[in-house]
Amino acid sequence: MSDYDSELDASGLNCPLPILRAKKALAALEANQTLRIIATDPGSVKDFEAFCKQTGNELVSSGEEGGKFVFMIKKS
Amino acid sequence: MSTRLPGPERRLLILKESQRLFAEKGFHGVSIDEIARAVNVSPAILYRHFESKQALYDAVLRELSSQRESYVEAVINSGAGFEEVLISMTEVFIHSIDENPNLLRIEMQSLLDGNSATSEFFENRWKSFNDYINFSLNELLAYDIDDREIKILTASLMFQGMVREALLQKYLQPQDRLIDVSLNELSRELVTLFVRAVGIDRPRAAETD
Repeated sequence: MSDYDSELDASGLNCPLPILRAKKALAALEANQTLRIIATDPGSVKDFEAFCKQTGNELVSSGEEGGKFVFMIKKS
Repeated sequence: MSTRLPGPERRLLILKESQRLFAEKGFHGVSIDEIARAVNVSPAILYRHFESKQALYDAVLRELSSQRESYVEAVINSGAGFEEVLISMTEVFIHSIDENPNLLRIEMQSLLDGNSATSEFFENRWKSFNDYINFSLNELLAYDIDDREIKILTASLMFQGMVREALLQKYLQPQDRLIDVSLNELSRELVTLFVRAVGIDRPRAAETD
């Protein structure tokens, strides 16, 4: 899963800013396009799970890379 | 000797009583003996669970941070306007103090204690607001203004000050005039005043990023 259509770097930002920016970035995408998000707030793991559950977008993957959290979200 | 409790339950009881005592008296105002007495165990047993007062204090903070408030719902369910999001966030934050005023007490105590782990923990709580205000104002105040950075910094300090003072008045020295004010009313009024003060109260003028 290295393909994505748009990327958002939310490093250094605390919740809810990464979520708000992801919401906006997803709004600009078409259905089935993927957004890659980079974040450093440890709380973002739970936050993006909750975000996807509530908005119906698919959390394709959620993991850690070089000390940062990386999420792939596919727009529903 | 005390009544025997299974390990995990005893650990929880120790954490609960420690939280209460640290909130009332601050880190330096509480001794291990006092905590042991409150839990009805010997200090030796207490040390079996936590090797030092600092370790116990850190565990209390960790437990508090695991109950960290989530703004996800607030953000999804509110509109995209700066004011609306800020109101929802403030409601969530005030609600967390309403559920556990010890959070506010420990924050105040830690400001005087100068404990770096604690300061970091509480700064992090406020950082959600600071980040959001900083980022949004940078966008909303699109025109050129002098000393932009310091103005935005003072704005987020002002917001933090307003909310913190309201919480102190409501929870630590309950004032008659605040008793009947609901949390939601309080959040809305504070944010409305703030938005007017920073000069971006043109009705839903702009959307945040």
